[in-house]
Amino acid sequence: MGSPNNLKYAATHEWCRAEGETAVVGISQHAVDLLHDLVYLDLPAPGTVVAAGKQFGEVESVKAVSELIAPVSGTVTERNEAVAAAPEKISADPYGAGWLIKVRVSNPAEVAGLLDAAAYDAQASGEH
Amino acid sequence: MSELRRTVFAARHAALGAKLAEFGGWEMPMWYQGIVEEHLATRKGAGLFDVSHMGRLTVRGARALEFLQHVLTNNAAALEVGQAQYTIIANEQGGAVDDAYLYRFVEDEYLLVVNASNRAKDVAHLRGHLARFAGVEMTDRTEEVAMLSLQGPRSREMLAGLVEGQLPEPKKNALGAAKIKGKPVRLARTGYTGEPLGFELFLARADALEIFDLLVGLGARPVGLGARDTLRLEAGLPLYGHELGTDAQGQEIPIFAISLARFAVSFSALKGEFVGRAALEKQHEAAGRIMRGEFYSPALEALPRRVMAVAIAGKAIARAGARVIGADGKLVGYVTSGTVVPYWKIEAEGLACRIGEEKLMRSIGLMLADSALRTGDSLTVEIRDKKAAGRIVASHLQSKSPPYARPIVCEF
Repeated sequence: MGSPNNLKYAATHEWCRAEGETAVVGISQHAVDLLHDLVYLDLPAPGTVVAAGKQFGEVESVKAVSELIAPVSGTVTERNEAVAAAPEKISADPYGAGWLIKVRVSNPAEVAGLLDAAAYDAQASGEH
Repeated sequence: MSELRRTVFAARHAALGAKLAEFGGWEMPMWYQGIVEEHLATRKGAGLFDVSHMGRLTVRGARALEFLQHVLTNNAAALEVGQAQYTIIANEQGGAVDDAYLYRFVEDEYLLVVNASNRAKDVAHLRGHLARFAGVEMTDRTEEVAMLSLQGPRSREMLAGLVEGQLPEPKKNALGAAKIKGKPVRLARTGYTGEPLGFELFLARADALEIFDLLVGLGARPVGLGARDTLRLEAGLPLYGHELGTDAQGQEIPIFAISLARFAVSFSALKGEFVGRAALEKQHEAAGRIMRGEFYSPALEALPRRVMAVAIAGKAIARAGARVIGADGKLVGYVTSGTVVPYWKIEAEGLACRIGEEKLMRSIGLMLADSALRTGDSLTVEIRDKKAAGRIVASHLQSKSPPYARPIVCEF
């Protein structure tokens, strides 16, 4: 599948990119393909505390609704208002303009513990 | 588990990159490019649907009409050769075994098209009544006849360019026989999208692929079951298992709960006794009282809840089972079908009306709710842990003026 190598991934299909103290979080191309036809996005406001492994929002497609699970713990510093208003924009560029939230990471070790692209792809290729 | 059935178009679906899934025992395309895109393509151009999974039963014999009058709710005697009608297979309680379309292409044979997921149940139910009508022959033709649906503003011009002979009369439910490249095709001005222009095609299996390819070549967009559902929902058309059959609590939904019952149930003297008649007469009487605003117990007993269209603020989807709360804070009903549909912004009005380029989205639903509620009433729809404002609307779509179906958008 070839997910980008510069990102880390959660088994629940979120990606994470560390930029100093901040982690940018989004969902993978694989998740976008699975969900298809994204119509609704619920993201936490800046200041919200999120915890690794816990739900921080939801994404809905015409067919189904899915929880968004935080890959890292911390405090939301920014959410992507452009995709919140038009979730279909995630599909065009899930690793770039389609990012979801930025988090000030409270435990940087969590980032290191996430899957790399190869491990994520291996896991995701087993799903349909 | 038994092997999934595949329609004659299965190889085309795969070649077009369709996302396939099981539906009613068949492997069917859910979408090709995407539900949203296919929905929009149908509303602006023409959508091409493989509906060969639907059950096709032919009924013939001297007493065929008598049999159909007994097991179906509509007046089959009103059907001339060259006409079709929406009808319901009722049970004695006045609930639906299934909803169906009855076509009369030729003098001595009727074609009944039923839902794929109900086909076995319908056949068993109908066979149970067949014993009393000696000489009536009911044959399941599902596997030998292919069926396509071509829906949308460009459907007529596409077919007109292909067909040798006349298209059926330009009115809903008219039928005709024609040829495409020398191959016989039966055409019906019917459909399940709310499009003012639309056709269903009945084809011999051997000819089906060529005709599918011809239509795609003319620009018809293959559409999967995903958009078939969002299109019918926007048009306010019932789906068995949601607006007909049993409700979220397992209770039988009275047939008159759907507004289409007015056109699908006949108490004509020509029908005599038919399955469900007594219960349906009570529902009909209740529906009349409700329309007149007479809300006392006999009316509400036969028809406590009806199916209504609800517009929902925001972009979250109120899925089947979502609770609906009235202005007084009490539970008034449940969503039966909900989705977010895309629509083209309409530019100008009246005769100058045309479909624009801008794509918008809106959250809509159908619900089974207290019969005393009225169009315009404000509600709250519980979508998971959130509450969304809702309003009862007469319909989500204006389907009456060709060539375009137009969205009726509720502002919040």
